[in-house]
Amino acid sequence: MNKSSRLSALGFGLGLRTDHYDAILEGRPAVDWFEIISENYMVGGGKPLQYLDRIAARYPIVMHGVSLSIGSTDPIDRGYLFELKGLAARVQPAWISDHLCWTGISSRNLHDLMPLPYTEEALRHVAARVRQVQDFLGRRILLENVSSYVSFTHSTIPEWEFLRELTQAADCLLLLDVNNIHVNSCNHGFDPQAYLDAIPGDRVQQIHLAGHTRNNGLLIDTHDQPVPEPVWSLYREAVRRFGPVSTMIERDDNIPPLAELVAELNRARRIAAEAQNAVAA
Amino acid sequence: MTRPPLSALQSLFQNRIQSGDADSERAMEALVVSDVRAGAGERVAVYADAYRLRLTEAMSVDYPALCSLLGVPEFSRMCRAYIAAYPSDRPSIRWFGRYLSVFLAGAPDYSQRPVLSELAAFEWAQGETFDALDAPVLNIEQVAAIAPTSWAGMRLLPHPSVRRLDLYWNAPEIVKAVSASKRRPAPRQTAKVTPWLMWRDEKLDIRWRSIGDDEVAAFDAARNNQRFADICELLCEFVEPEQAPMQAAGLLKRWVMDGLITDIDIA
Repeated sequence: MNKSSRLSALGFGLGLRTDHYDAILEGRPAVDWFEIISENYMVGGGKPLQYLDRIAARYPIVMHGVSLSIGSTDPIDRGYLFELKGLAARVQPAWISDHLCWTGISSRNLHDLMPLPYTEEALRHVAARVRQVQDFLGRRILLENVSSYVSFTHSTIPEWEFLRELTQAADCLLLLDVNNIHVNSCNHGFDPQAYLDAIPGDRVQQIHLAGHTRNNGLLIDTHDQPVPEPVWSLYREAVRRFGPVSTMIERDDNIPPLAELVAELNRARRIAAEAQNAVAA
Repeated sequence: MTRPPLSALQSLFQNRIQSGDADSERAMEALVVSDVRAGAGERVAVYADAYRLRLTEAMSVDYPALCSLLGVPEFSRMCRAYIAAYPSDRPSIRWFGRYLSVFLAGAPDYSQRPVLSELAAFEWAQGETFDALDAPVLNIEQVAAIAPTSWAGMRLLPHPSVRRLDLYWNAPEIVKAVSASKRRPAPRQTAKVTPWLMWRDEKLDIRWRSIGDDEVAAFDAARNNQRFADICELLCEFVEPEQAPMQAAGLLKRWVMDGLITDIDIA
């Protein structure tokens, strides 16, 4: 039986980055929670895990992976899943997420979020694997929509319908990356509002906000810039539709001081409050 | 192949990214939508370019001193060759660069400069030490509490972060200078091999020091699970037999104070 209801919302968070470890521990910034890149802490020990333990003692943590390769046609990497489950036992995350993509086949890894064709075959394939992963982890996972630079000529399902169908078939939750919706709408020419309209709100557990760069005719999901205006506008629309959803800002390169990201996060708080007030009015 | 099965599509796409040959390029572009924003070739190339850039960036994080010594253009060329020779086979990019020292020792373009392979080995060992398994370390009081009659049979368990390296070049000096953003010394071959110990201290920082021949013999024996009595016997090659136990005890004290020993098994 499907359980479409969302888990409790955590508020407004940031990605945990090494540059900010000391500022977080010393300054106790007004951040409600932190998201870690799971793979960065799938190590034996040392400083990364020590910092994580200390920060996890003060803030809720969610785990976000980049290597689950849920769409790959290789068998699911059991060794990776064991490590992931072990880390979750240590961190006790509020939830675990990864991406709707594949990262390699034939035991090779491209270390990129490779796009899937949106076909019935891919939908069945991914849904079965999500169920397998969820059974192993003993919890529902969140899958994130990825930025893409190609669309396949044989895709038969719009991306947003694929996501909707997948959450239903696999009984999983969504990590909706609003920047990725904007990037893809520009790269592939669709209406991002129609995308949001099709997303089942009761599956949206988390929202990502981030910046991007332009490379000729394409937007590239670089996470090295502040959140730009079109993404803020789309975020407002998302909150209007989905209500209060745990929201965080991703910054992976050109990382500014923590205070700058906290100020950016405060803008997300304001926009979310305004959007919810407008709905209530 | 206009509607390839998922497995065929992934195989083709991965081939295009990793080998970049003309056949896979053509086949891949035929499966990708072109429009006014960008053609299929440009779109596919985003992934191929990102693949090399991402792996090269990971290498530059793992090997900053090597990057400094080679210079960015040559380091990037070297990475390209390494990426082709050792495609990533682990989910975490953390492990991608683990064969670089072996690669540099064997690749014709680089094997003539053995400092490169040694520098890579030293920098990789730093990474291994940095996030090696956590384990307790013995303190001097715990060792002092061991009954004298048990000392001969003691076997030492080194901390998981400890690494032993034998170097012919001044790699540690180069790494230290680059890490401190100071002027990098020129590569210099030492008159004879220099043995090194590297470990993680109680603040979880990486430390290293060169060690003498007597300490090499003793520590390598300890790592090989030999008894303290065997270590004393080995030290007879360096000191008078009656001084060997004192010498071994002195080395053990130093290792314990450095935080190199996790446990002592008393048979």
